[in-house]
Amino acid sequence: MTDIISTRVADVSGDEAMDGKAPLRRGYWSAVARDGRRLGKWFVAPTVILLLFIVVFPLAMQLYLSFTWWTPLDGVRWYRAFESFNAGDNYARLAVDSALWSAIWRTLVIMVFAVPAQFLLGLGLAYLFVDQFPGRKFFYSVLLTPMMIVPAVVGLMFFLVFQGTGPFNHTFGLPASFTWLTDVHRAMLSVIIADTWQWTPLMFLILLSGMLAVPPDQLLAARLLGGSSWQNFRKIILPRMKPVIAIALVLRSVECFKIFDLNFVMTKGGPGVETETVSLYLYKKTFADLDWAYVGAIGLVILFVLSAIAASGLAFASKKAKG
Amino acid sequence: MVRPSPGALALKYALILFACAIVAYPLLWMVTMAFKPYPEWTTGTGMTWFPKNPTLQNFEFIFFGHAKGAVVSLDRTIVGPLIASIVTSVCGTALAVVAGTLSSYAVVRYGILSGLPLQVLQLRLFPPLAVMIPIMVMWAFLGAGDTWWGLSLIYGIVTLPFAFWLMKTFFEEVPIEIEDAARVSGCSHWRVFYRITLPIVAPGLATCALFVFIMNWSDYLLALMLTQKNWMTLPVYMSTLTSAMGGQMYGVKSALGLIAAIPPVVFGLLIQKHLVRGLTFGALKQ
Repeated sequence: MTDIISTRVADVSGDEAMDGKAPLRRGYWSAVARDGRRLGKWFVAPTVILLLFIVVFPLAMQLYLSFTWWTPLDGVRWYRAFESFNAGDNYARLAVDSALWSAIWRTLVIMVFAVPAQFLLGLGLAYLFVDQFPGRKFFYSVLLTPMMIVPAVVGLMFFLVFQGTGPFNHTFGLPASFTWLTDVHRAMLSVIIADTWQWTPLMFLILLSGMLAVPPDQLLAARLLGGSSWQNFRKIILPRMKPVIAIALVLRSVECFKIFDLNFVMTKGGPGVETETVSLYLYKKTFADLDWAYVGAIGLVILFVLSAIAASGLAFASKKAKG
Repeated sequence: MVRPSPGALALKYALILFACAIVAYPLLWMVTMAFKPYPEWTTGTGMTWFPKNPTLQNFEFIFFGHAKGAVVSLDRTIVGPLIASIVTSVCGTALAVVAGTLSSYAVVRYGILSGLPLQVLQLRLFPPLAVMIPIMVMWAFLGAGDTWWGLSLIYGIVTLPFAFWLMKTFFEEVPIEIEDAARVSGCSHWRVFYRITLPIVAPGLATCALFVFIMNWSDYLLALMLTQKNWMTLPVYMSTLTSAMGGQMYGVKSALGLIAAIPPVVFGLLIQKHLVRGLTFGALKQ
């Protein structure tokens, strides 16, 4: 109702109310400017066009291509890909593609070690930063730095650190022949360490903001009643942080699943395929094998599974946040 | 608050300093490496944290393609990739911020397309590689491969969710009474948006732009897939250094890494207060 009234007012007085000099314009755009809903439609137009252009249309194309043998080497335009229609062979193929499944397995291994490590370290650091202390702001800024550095550069940094002749071996008195990035077992460990170095600050940042939201008077009351720090932490802080923890874990897990820059720069997926994650596998399939229709099929399956997991995770988090 | 005991405080400082040391360890190695001459690149002759003979040779080498005493020369200097990184990040940021600001305002104020926020969020969930095939086909079809606008376009779209959600939280904080008052006194909706609301959220808008810029600047994968020569960005350029030179150009790459790392770190520290909000799509505020 107020909306109608105010639009009426605007209709009557036009722009003149703001500055008397502006001439009263009549025309399509001035009508739009006065009508909230019409203006709003113009406002969402760019986003909707971008979404259609980059999500809806490409996904339809991907679905279409994934049912063919099409590759860019065919010399056939993509819209004529139906000539090599294969009735879902790509999907049958990915179910038994051991290289893909082992890439998924390796990605999960990174997630299973890196995300909890980041979470625990971030939680510990956040606990140190709850109270004020001299120098808090400075240390806070220092500890946040890693997550702002370009991931590819972080890859370079750890590439340098983990060289046989690099500082890491030297610091810990290991011989130069003790390699990290070319060793079957330690290559994975290097990637996990690099990922943890870069993203613990993100966990720290999110968990700290959640911890600061715990009402301080409750904590004080608990402390005066004689609760130990550990009891306070477990019984008061942690339960209140559940939604924040859920958000942090979902966010990090989703991002961790996409991991590409770090291991691509550090090891190129090697040695062999020891650090080849899903993204790297897809990259190789795309550029080395040019198997585009197959990559499209894998992409769609990953997309579907990941969206379902993330959507349920976020739904859980927002339910917790409200409840 | 209860004052912590001196022992507890000392332990706290010790732990924090230890964490800072871990943060500094690889960072310092790369930063000092950028100023080291060739013989100090590895620990073969004993490790030096700080260059014994500090030099700007590495920077000279990537900016001019050759340096005094260097046996090899570069056929491509950093200048092109640096410009490419700046141009595509800025254009992509502009696109994301403009589209995100307008549409989030429409969703918040006019309730148009209430399903849009989640749709936009979905964009962020999947690995870019999973949807790159049709993008690459389209880009080839449109002639957008290896152009500044092709890469800017994809940057704008990929970071749109961040811009959208960040601006949404800022708009939600603007009291509707202010807008109503302006509207009652005769302002059109456009004028209210442009002259009243936008100035109020200007700090938020700046935060949003810097945040999105960091995202675009940090990209590696998209540039790797959609550019070849003319518009390769800094991280892609970094990886070409290895393959082009045969040997590992530790010092030169470190100089490059340092240059690439500075803008996002500076901007990130500037918008520190809003980082949580941006990174969690407005789910958390600080």
